[in-house]
Order: sequence, then structure tokens, then C-alpha cells
Amino acid sequence: MMNFEEMRRRAKKEWEALMQMEKPLILVGTATCGRSAGALKVWETLQKELENCGVECNIIEVGCIGLCYLEPLITIIKPSRPGICYGEVNPEKIVELVKGYLINDNPLPHYALGTIGDERIDGIPKLFDIPVFKPQVRRVLANCGFIDPTNINHYLANDGYNGFMKTIKMTPEEIIEEIKRSGLRGRGGAGFPTWRKWQFCLEAKGVGKYLICNADEGDPGAFMNRSLLEGDPHSVLEGMLIAAYAIGAREGYIYCRAEYPLALERLRQAIRQMEECSLLGNNIFGSNFSFHIKIKEGAGAFVCGEETALIASIEGKRGMPRPRPPFPAISGLWGKPTVINNVETLASIALILQKGSDWYAQYGTEQSKGTKTFALAGKVKHTGLIEVPLGISLGQIIYDIGGGVLNDKKFKAVQTGGPSGGCIPSSLSGVPVDYESLKATGSIMGSGGIVVMDEDICMVDFARFFLDFVQKESCGECVPCRLGTKQMLDILEDITKGKGRSGDIDLLTELAEGVKTGSLCGLGQTVPNPVLTTIRYFRDEYEAHIKYKRCPAAACKEIISSPCQHTCPIGTEANTYISLIAEKRFKEAWDIIKKDNPLPSVCARVCHHPCESKCEAGKWADPIAIRTLKRFITDYALEAGIYNSTKKPKIDKEKVAIVGSGPAGLTAGHYLAEKGYDVTIFEALDVPGGAPAVYIPEYRLPKDILNIDIANIKKAGVKIKTNTKIGEDIPFSDLLKNYRAVFIATGTHKSKMLRIPNEDADGVSDALEFLEDVNLKKKVKIGKKVGIIGGGNAAVDAARVAGRIKGCEKVTIIYRRTRVEMPAFKEEIEAAIEEGIEMQFLSAPSGIMTKNGKVTGIKCIKMELGATDNSGRKRPIPIESSEFVIDLDTLIVAIGEEPDLSFLDTGHSLEISRGNTIVVNPETFATNIDGIFAGGDVVTGPNTVVEAMSSGKIVAEMIDKYIRGESLGREYKLTRPSMYVPPVELTEKEMEEARRVEIPHLSMEKKTNNFNEVDLTITEAMAIKEAKRCLRCDLNTEDGKRWLQQKQQAAQGGG
Amino acid sequence: MEERLNTILSSFEGEKSELIPILQHVQGEFGYLSEQAMLEIARHTGAPESRVYAVASFYAQFRFTPMGKNHIMACRGTSCHVRGGPRILEETEKRLGIKEGETTPDLEYSLETVACIGCCGLSPCIMINKKVEAKMTPKRVAELFARGEG
Repeated sequence: MMNFEEMRRRAKKEWEALMQMEKPLILVGTATCGRSAGALKVWETLQKELENCGVECNIIEVGCIGLCYLEPLITIIKPSRPGICYGEVNPEKIVELVKGYLINDNPLPHYALGTIGDERIDGIPKLFDIPVFKPQVRRVLANCGFIDPTNINHYLANDGYNGFMKTIKMTPEEIIEEIKRSGLRGRGGAGFPTWRKWQFCLEAKGVGKYLICNADEGDPGAFMNRSLLEGDPHSVLEGMLIAAYAIGAREGYIYCRAEYPLALERLRQAIRQMEECSLLGNNIFGSNFSFHIKIKEGAGAFVCGEETALIASIEGKRGMPRPRPPFPAISGLWGKPTVINNVETLASIALILQKGSDWYAQYGTEQSKGTKTFALAGKVKHTGLIEVPLGISLGQIIYDIGGGVLNDKKFKAVQTGGPSGGCIPSSLSGVPVDYESLKATGSIMGSGGIVVMDEDICMVDFARFFLDFVQKESCGECVPCRLGTKQMLDILEDITKGKGRSGDIDLLTELAEGVKTGSLCGLGQTVPNPVLTTIRYFRDEYEAHIKYKRCPAAACKEIISSPCQHTCPIGTEANTYISLIAEKRFKEAWDIIKKDNPLPSVCARVCHHPCESKCEAGKWADPIAIRTLKRFITDYALEAGIYNSTKKPKIDKEKVAIVGSGPAGLTAGHYLAEKGYDVTIFEALDVPGGAPAVYIPEYRLPKDILNIDIANIKKAGVKIKTNTKIGEDIPFSDLLKNYRAVFIATGTHKSKMLRIPNEDADGVSDALEFLEDVNLKKKVKIGKKVGIIGGGNAAVDAARVAGRIKGCEKVTIIYRRTRVEMPAFKEEIEAAIEEGIEMQFLSAPSGIMTKNGKVTGIKCIKMELGATDNSGRKRPIPIESSEFVIDLDTLIVAIGEEPDLSFLDTGHSLEISRGNTIVVNPETFATNIDGIFAGGDVVTGPNTVVEAMSSGKIVAEMIDKYIRGESLGREYKLTRPSMYVPPVELTEKEMEEARRVEIPHLSMEKKTNNFNEVDLTITEAMAIKEAKRCLRCDLNTEDGKRWLQQKQQAAQGGG
Repeated sequence: MEERLNTILSSFEGEKSELIPILQHVQGEFGYLSEQAMLEIARHTGAPESRVYAVASFYAQFRFTPMGKNHIMACRGTSCHVRGGPRILEETEKRLGIKEGETTPDLEYSLETVACIGCCGLSPCIMINKKVEAKMTPKRVAELFARGEG
């Protein structure tokens, strides 16, 4: 038998020879994630290519370095060069890399992720300096991705089994003391101090103690243990040796899920190698210590993560927990004292013994020491396996390591701890990740799954998802768990189907408490957590489902039918008109559009299309170009001569006054006139239309198009009195005397000020004033160099308008955050950049430079992004002494708008908010004064056209009820289309070619120095092709499925 | 069948604690646990027949009907759930013309769901005959199971 020193010497020699070989060494990540992304194909190509080119290399398989989102990964180490790690490798890249780097010595930096080791290569960062690695501390995972997990010598050469060799010279008490000093707590989830568990077992009487490694990683959303077992199995096995020695166990079990075939294979292989090296067996290395390990494959039962259930399962029984005490440390497997430790706990133990408890405790917090691995998954850009010091904030994990939310959607919540954990809202992203802090949020650390959720995830559905899981996994022993979870699931299913009842939330809470207190094991005691935390942090979402039949995330299909229809503030049936377009039924499509929208051509151009952001097709590829299709139909209707209303108005009801002719006022007027009310809209300016007329530039919305929609509203019987300023021409108080009801829809027309010196200088103006002057063709004076301050739509509009004015040479937008945080519409930002608008990000104005009272420049201070605030955006922080000046001759301020309420009588009693908006009942839009309603931006602050229209539509309904003397209140119904259209089957070719339609627009030359409309309409063929891409969510509800079935049956019967 | 079964059983010592591994091996060989096989297992281990069935029916892994040639497991894990897993399952059901837990009449495909495959970094995933297919889309489901109108 070889002694350990000899073994280690040989292992080191083998390792060094590998590292210092004349031939290049290539590491291929072939863990499960790598394989699923095509690593084996990469391996094959690599071998073939090397052979073809006659290049000799050593290739070894390694585990996962944790960058799942960049799989497959390979690392190339050329002699006397640092290793270079490459991501997203495919067969084509392999061919390039072999030629480029292995043969020609060009490291192809654009493919490289980073270098490994101290030396540098030009143009390639150090791997561990890139943002995803920077905050990480890799200890447990240190070997993963760098050693061959199938070769024990690689582990030995990297200090492997040193910890164990130290152990056998120590007494069990000394070992336990060392673990105690390290502060290690169980990594399986509950965080029980590891040393204490061992102490109990050591002190327990009886011979034939057992050690069990719990590798039944059953938490959905967690894969830390799998990765570790696949990438460095010996670290876990060394931990088992140490633990067994300390507690006096002679036999050990690894209970590993059958769903992890590769991890099982790696373990079996590693155990064989240990046996060959005499690291397992009787009298290991001549000591009194004997130890054997058996593998038990879990057969798929989540409850077996619970200690006593796991023991029952190893004993060949149903995996049902039993009451504790006695704890397994006293009476466990076969009634013998047993310690059960998690995979990561055991790997940490090996490290503690190798490097010492002080080294281990360098990181972490007072109560939670060391590092912890997490599986970062869900809606985050950088998914993968990470290891961080405990105490790091959730925000750092999600933003710095995770790179933020996928597709830059809004971060909503994060789920930790699997089904036993809870959902932590984005507002708590500053929470430090340690056992106590997470518990205080209502969640738990758990084994390490972190699932990120964005705005598209419904929290009620998410709670239902977990309840569905645990209800199936409840072993049935305790009645509260078995039946309680079923009852909770039934309630949650009802709520997500729109059948929730008031009182459901309280009932859920009560049941949850019952399940918690009435269950024996950890499963029952914790599984209500996802429900309780979502109620705690997202109660409004539950209420939206129950009371308003709304799913804010547009996820619960029985409530929303199609996300586009459900999300549209005015309920446009996009799904219906899209499916009609696909069938070439354009006239019917037009009827569907105008039914819900009195400003169709306006919306077809300027709507911010929330429908597209929730489109199901967009979850897999690009969303349907819904607004573009609407534009196609409105243009079609205009051309076909069916656009203008021919219905004769019948006005026979009471008089209603509307203040303001913007989208809210026009919409309310339209629907009130349709009901027969005598509506007068008062407009202060000489043109009707509000913001679309005065602020939205003509290249986005031509005036004649706006006027077509306004003309139709007038035709419906609405009178618009322009040049009539309420408060000046007519006192506001007169309105109530002469009209049965009044609707205030005056918008936001006052620009906010910067409040910095020299704001009154010549050449400084605000965006609203500027846009209005241009739109109303007043004389506008701007210089050559224009600066715009702000990142919203007004800023981008002002910039694009300024850029079109003759004489203007350069336009710069100055914004204090970055492009990602800009609140302006994405396509507008893109268009601005395309038109040559410059963006000066991370800069905040601090003073205006003047000469002779005229602006000459703006002084700015550089900002950097700091911690994430409650809105999920990073807070800009000024960098000291970083001031700089941008030379300009014109400065336009666009940092926000607020309502101008000067039209109200002095001494009015209307309730006004601190933000100077009018306060209304959010359901009815009624103000505190009887008969006065308010809506649009004057209530919400600056908002979108379609949101303003939505309030106008509701107000029309409320005013009707008010005048008829009915109680004000809205009816809330499930979203459903007014008609179903048969689905179209796509040919294979059509499916292959399905791409989002590209909107044609004016060429650069044609849009210079003029205000011609930029976006053009699409052709009929393009429209039909685009419409056919629709996934037809409306046919996926029970209702829709029934319709389809009946239709098919009828077709069969008829055929 | 009997011979294959006996070969498996004789590789175990016949202890009650071996029940689960025996069931796993038998299912591994035959694809499912037939009534006859379970009766044999009871005899071999000395466990009551009811206990063999009780244990087998407790764990998600065991099934009592024959399985198709290709074993599809759709992941129901949290990460897959938030990244569109339900749609992938729906699409797979549609393409194969069977529901979760069923086998196609020609015994080509069986479709099951699994709590989590543990490949969350590349979700949504499905497993086809122990091979994980990552970053699934409805389109890829259609490509993988292009077998006419299911």
C-alpha cells in the first residue's frame, strides 16, 4: 500500500506535468449544463479539428465554473501563456479557435471571456475581474471547472484529502472544536450549527453510528449540489471522511436524486478511486478508522429532504417523517445515532480542515460565517452557479453578479429557499443574505436557490405554483398539511381563474397558520411561506385578481384571455383584429379597433403599446408588431373611405362640460355623446387635441391625422370651444351651475425647474414651451449647439425636434443615469441615436454658464451608479471634483412636468395632492366635489396617451351613472374577446420565416430639416404575414378551447 | 421476463432495506413495475405485498404501466416555470397528442413531468432519455417532435 505522501507526490507530478506540458491543454466543461448546451458536440468537433490540422493537445473534461448562461465553455492553456476561457462555444467557433489561437497564436479576444492566472493578454480581462465574478469568493467551488473530476490525482494535487490526513491525527473533540470555531452552519437550509449536531452524535451512546450525505437536492430552482458533485466530488467525500471520523461512524450513505445521472456517475467513480487509494475501507492508512460509503438513489420525493423521512427511505420504507425528538443524532438510521449533512456542508468541512477555521471565518457576518453557493436562475441575465460571502446584499447578487433582469424588464421579486422559502420584493433588495436577515423577511436561506422574477410574473400564480408542488409532495402523515395544502391550492386556483371571493386572503392566511402549527416536519411547517410572503408583500395583486378581475402581470390566462387585450388600458381587442388581419378580413378588423378607441390613428402612431410588452410571442422571439398592424388597418380604412363616422348623432340628454381637449377629454366626450349627452369641451388654445397637438412632434404624428380623429369625435356630437380659457374667459365655478357634470382633463403643462443659478438666462427654455412653439408654427429661435436636460419622452422629443431645425448642428441629451434607466420609450431613444443625437449619460447639471446674460454652456458633475433603490434602479451618486462644462448656446430643460391648476377659482375646495395633482377616487375618478370628475395627467402626473384615454372612457361611464342617479361603481369582468376567429395553420416555410415585421421609415436624407412622418405603413402582404405569427392566446382559455372544439365538431359533422 | 427478473433479484441479498434499489433496478430493466414483478419482489424480500406497493406508489419515480421507447420529462422547476415551462409542456402535449403521464398508442413516447431537473441556468428544459435539452422554445419542441399531427 502506498502511503499518502507518496500518493500526493505522484499526483502533484502528474498535475504539474499537465500544466507545464509542451502541448496546449484544453479544458472542456462537461457538467450537465454544459452538455445540455452542446458541450459534447463541441468536444467532438474539437477532437476532429485538431486531428485534421495535425495539432497535438491534451483535452480534459472539467466541471462547471458557474457561467451557465455562457455554456458551452472551454479553456485553452498554451505553454507559458495564461489560460483563456471562451464562452458560448459552438463547432464553428472551435474551428476558428483551432486555426486562430492554436495554430496562429491569435487569441481571438472578441471570443474570450477572460484569462486565468496572473499574467495578462492584451485585450482580454482577467476572468475573475469580470463583473459576474468580481463580487464572488470561490472556495467551495474553487476546483470546479479547473480539475478533472474523474481523476482523484487532480484533487490530491490541489491539497485534496490534506484535511482528512490532518483529522486522523486529531481527537474527535479537537475536530468538533475546529468546526465550532469556523462558525459553519448547515448549508441544507435551516442553518443549524454543524458542530453541535456532531457533538450530540459523538456523545450519543451506541456503536455503529451512521453518517449520511444528503444529496437529495429537491428544491426546484436549485442545482448547487449537482454542480459540486459533478465538478468536484472528492471535496464532498473528503468531508464525509472527516465527519465520519469525528462522530465515530463506520458506514456512510449518500442519498442522491435519481434525476442527477451524471452526479451519480461521478460519485461512483470517485468512490472507486478512493477505494483504490485506500482512502476508504478498513483501517485507512493504518489507523483504527474504517469507513465505507454506499450510494442510495432517491426515488423522487421532496419530503425526503427532511432528515427522518430520508432515513425512512434508506431503510426501504415510504419516506414519511416521524416526530422528533429523538433526533437522528441520538436515534437515526436503524435506530443508531446518525448525522445527516448536506453536500455543501461537507465540502466546507474539507476546506476548514485543510485551511483552518480562521481562514474559513474570514468572510461572512457575525452569525453567518463563510461563503455560500447559490443557484442564480429565473429572469436574470447571468444565470449560473455562484459563491459569495454571506452578508452580501440581494441587490448585489442580482445586479452586479446577475447583470440585472433579463430584457431589462422591471425587477419584481426574488424567491429564496424553494418551497419552504418565500418571495422577497424588489424594495428589499438591500437585505443582506444571511440566515437571520432572510428569516426576518419571511423567507429563508434554504439550500441556495435564488429565482429572480420580473414584472411578467404573477405573484398569485407563483404562490399557486408552489402550493401545487407541495400539495403533491405532502406525504400525508399530518392532516393539516395533507388537507390544508389542498384547500389552499383550491383557493389559489380559484383566484387565478378569476373566481376568487372576498375573504379568500384571510382564509388563506388562516389555513397557512394552521398548516404551519399542525404539521410534524419541516415541510409542513414551512410550505405556507410562499403564500404568506406573497400576501405580505403583494396583497394588492391578490386583490386585483379577486376584486378587479385583473392580473397585473398578465399571466393568469383564465382572467386575461389574451395579454394584449387585458393589458390595453382601453381594452382594445388586439388579438381579435390581428386574427382578422391574418384572415384578410380588414373591414371587420377596423370595426374591432374603432369599437374601443375614438382616436385610432393617433394611437396607431404614438401609443406606447403596453400590449407588445406582454405579448406571448415576445417571450420566445419578438412580440407581434401590434401598433404597426393597427396603423395598417387605420390607413386601410382611410383609403377605403370607411374611416369617417356616418352615424347621425342623437343628442337628447343633459349638458356635460369637459375642461381640456386632450386624449382624456376627447375620449370622455366621444363616449358621452354616443350615449346622447350634450358635451362641450373647453380648450384654452386655438387648436384642439391637447398634448398630441402641441407637444408630440409632427414627424411622429402629423397634424392632419390628428385632425381626422378629432373631426370624427365632433361628428359624434361633441362641441369643442377653442380659445376659451376656464378661469379667465369663464370662471370655473360657472361650469357646475350650467352643466350637470364637469370633467377636468387639463393635463400637465407646467415644466419643472432645475433650480440652479442662471436658469433665466437668454437661450434657456423648457421642453414644453419649445415643443409647443414648434408645433404651433410659432417663431422658434435656437442656436447651433443645443443641450437637453432629462431622459423622458419630452427630452427625446425636444432633441429630435431641435435636430430637425435648420442651423442646428449638434444636439446633446444630458441625463444623470444611463440609457437603461431612461424613462423615454425605447424606440424613440433608438431613433434619436440614429438621427445623430448625442447622449451624455451619468451627468447632472450643476450650473449654467452665461456671458452677457446669454447661455454659453452648462456645468455638469459626473455621476456613478450606486446601490439599487426601491424602484429597482441604481441611484446616481456625484463623483467629487468631476465637474466639466459642455459648450452650448441653447439649453432646453425637460426634467418633468406638473399640472397647472391656475384655472381653478381662488379658494376652491377641490382636494389637491402634494404633487399638485387632483385627488380622485381611483375607481370612479370622482373628486371630493359632487359632480366634478377628473382624469388623465392632471390626476396621474405625466402619463401616456392611452392611459389618459382610459380614464376618459371610465369617466364617461361614471358621469352617465351619476346623472342617472345610480351609485358610482364599476363592474369588473374577466377579459374576453367579443368574437372568436379561427386560427390559421402556418406552413413549415412560414414558420421558418416568421420574424417580426420591420417597419419601413423615411431615409436619413428625407427626414433632414423637415417634419415629415418618419414611420411608414406596411404592405398588405407584410401585415398578413405578421398577423399570422400571433400565438392566439385567446383560444387557450377554457372558453376559447370550447369554441374551437365546437367549431371543429361542426366542421366534421358538416364534412 | 422471469429470467431477467430473477437475475436482478439474485444480485440482491433480499433484505427489506433493499426494496427501493430493487424496485429501481426492475423498473430500469422493464421500464415499469408490473404486478407480477412486484409480487416476485415481495416474495424475494419477505416484505408483505401491500408494503411493496405502498413503497412503490409513494415515490414519483415508479410507474405501473409500460413506457414508450422515448422518455420525455418536462421540468416543472421554479426557474423553468418563470421562463415559460408551462408553455413548453403544453406544446409538447400538443405535438405528441398525449397528456402528461401518458404514452403514445404506438409506444414511441411517454411524457412525464419532473419536479426539477436542476439545469435551472438554462431553463426552460426538458429531458429526453436522460439527455437534457436546454433553452427550449415552442419552435424547438415542434422541431424535436415533428411527427406529423400528433
